[in-house]
Amino acid sequence: MKITVKLIGSFVEAAGFGEREVDVPPGTTIAGLVELLAIESSRPMIITRNGRAFADGDTVVSGDRIAISPIYSGG
Amino acid sequence: MKGWIGRILRIDLTDKTFRTESFSVEFAHTWIGGRGFAAKILYDELAPGIDPLGPDNKLIVALGPISGISAPNTGKAVVAAKSPSTGGYGDGNLGTRVALELRKAGYDAMVVEGKADRPTMLLIEDDRVAFLPADAVWGRGTYDTNDWIYAGYGKGVGVLTIGQGGENLVRYAVVRSLEGRAGGRTGMGAVMGSKLLKAIVVKGTRPIPQADPEGMKQAGLGGLREVHRIDKESGWSVQSTNGVLAWCNEVAALPVRNFRKTSHPDAWKVDGERLNDARIATYGCPNCTMHCGIAMHDAEGRESELDYENVALLGPNLEIFDLPQVASLNYLCDDYGIDTMSSGGTLAFYADAIDHGATPGDFSFGDADGAKTLLSMIARREGIGDVLADGTRAAARRFGHGSDAYAMQIKGLELAAYNCKYIPGMALALGVSPIGAHHKESWIIMFELKETSRDSYGPEKAQKIIDLQRIRGGMFECIVSCRFPWIENGWPLDHYPVYFNLSTGLDWTLDDFWTVGDRIYALLKLFWLREHPQTDRSSDFPPAVWFDSTNADTEGPIAGLHLEYDKYDRLLQHYYDLRGYDQRGIPTMDTLRRLGLGAEAAGAAEFGRLT
Repeated sequence: MKITVKLIGSFVEAAGFGEREVDVPPGTTIAGLVELLAIESSRPMIITRNGRAFADGDTVVSGDRIAISPIYSGG
Repeated sequence: MKGWIGRILRIDLTDKTFRTESFSVEFAHTWIGGRGFAAKILYDELAPGIDPLGPDNKLIVALGPISGISAPNTGKAVVAAKSPSTGGYGDGNLGTRVALELRKAGYDAMVVEGKADRPTMLLIEDDRVAFLPADAVWGRGTYDTNDWIYAGYGKGVGVLTIGQGGENLVRYAVVRSLEGRAGGRTGMGAVMGSKLLKAIVVKGTRPIPQADPEGMKQAGLGGLREVHRIDKESGWSVQSTNGVLAWCNEVAALPVRNFRKTSHPDAWKVDGERLNDARIATYGCPNCTMHCGIAMHDAEGRESELDYENVALLGPNLEIFDLPQVASLNYLCDDYGIDTMSSGGTLAFYADAIDHGATPGDFSFGDADGAKTLLSMIARREGIGDVLADGTRAAARRFGHGSDAYAMQIKGLELAAYNCKYIPGMALALGVSPIGAHHKESWIIMFELKETSRDSYGPEKAQKIIDLQRIRGGMFECIVSCRFPWIENGWPLDHYPVYFNLSTGLDWTLDDFWTVGDRIYALLKLFWLREHPQTDRSSDFPPAVWFDSTNADTEGPIAGLHLEYDKYDRLLQHYYDLRGYDQRGIPTMDTLRRLGLGAEAAGAAEFGRLT
């Protein structure tokens, strides 16, 4: 199934893209998506869908737009 | 006394006199420096009700006990006065070589009062203070003025200057330094202008006294290297503060069209990726190893240094999504010496008021050229610029016709670039900021979304705001150091007491700083109460439109959602209860005594009722 991944801040450099449509198997969890994208999972991050935070065990669904951002602190 | 020099430089522009004043160990330990010194001096010395743009106001430049020392991010200064934009306490901080030079000249702070009889530049060289004519640069922008000063005194001096905005008393005029740094969006540049003070130039030659110079050197240099290393590792400086723009757009927190919308499909055109792509140079403050200032060419080919706040408020909030044009607006604000944030907020208010028929005018959202013209008119107070130069609250009063609904401000200060239509904790953080709607005290949006829920009005949000106020508005504003290494890259807070103790010879822990922070916040509440004796909890509320269902987003993540008045009111009460404030938001007698403000509490009976 297809989802859209929006990377923010330093994750753009790390993964080499800012926004991309990604094919993932059904049942993919947020933790699985991070692994699939080869993003270092130990880095502090916030993952949101539709303006709300995702937990590691939550699964993505077809058509999702997932934003993965470093933890900012508001300057 | 170690760490502190123990001296404040007092300058009277009316009489062209100066003197040095010593302060006690008790004063130093009670207020630390920076904002603490400024708050105490202004509270003690300003008569209630003075005109912030009159000679009775006092401009304070205050440093801390690690200012100027070779340790991470110690090249910042606090500028403070009674605010012409809010009528309450106002301050700001900026990166400047003045932080180093004023300490080397032998002062922890300077207080400027009175009014010069002609445009003046102060030249401070150790024990000497010269009152020099500045007619040659009066009427000129901050870039020209800075060049003029460097041409005369070299680049090794510390400089604070104003542009045309400060000269013409734009109520959100700032103080500028280092060609890319600005501070005091509460109108500190206008206070300088009201005193006909165009610039302050400082050169010092003395060592800064420290309890353990060798230990400080080792710890400081180690810290500078470590901050640089972790920043390279995290990659934060690649997009710097502007990285947050794309995130705010994703989670419906971006100010778009005078905060009416929370996201926009074209926001990517002005985000951190595009800014990094356009980068031509990177700048930082003195003693900084994680530079945050990303410069690019603006639409006219000039170098313009950008960060998130000015991009968001001069870009999406005006529905301008052309990054070079946003950079041009930013350049003009910097050159005129007017605050980029309040400028963006004020222009958006004007476009909104016109759009809703509250006032005639030919400016609209998306009009970059019109915005450039208006900024020039504001800086010179020409035509409608004279009205807009007083900020959104005052302009709304002039326009009438319900235009106060479009004035996105708290306590008279335009909102920082976080659209809190449905982010109650951050709305509260802006509401209870002691200088008006600014984000430097506390920023909790990511905490709200990640650790709680944006639907929640739970007391944990009030506690988090206080925790951050103690750190950001308390410790960092008093030792006067940049919070970025800690807050953006996780550099442990414990380093700061170490630096403080090596400098002063004390044995403070973080808890000691929190107590001082609480004391300052309580004193600032008394300052506001004295200026506005009828003050109550309504002054800590965000703009009414955030509670208005007709203003809710019609699409996107928070469609149909808005803040709820009663729940916000209870969250505010949680904050007051945790702080030991009464129903009006005023510290109780017990709280004031607990914080060592017994004398201030007794004096407060003259202008307000304490419970």
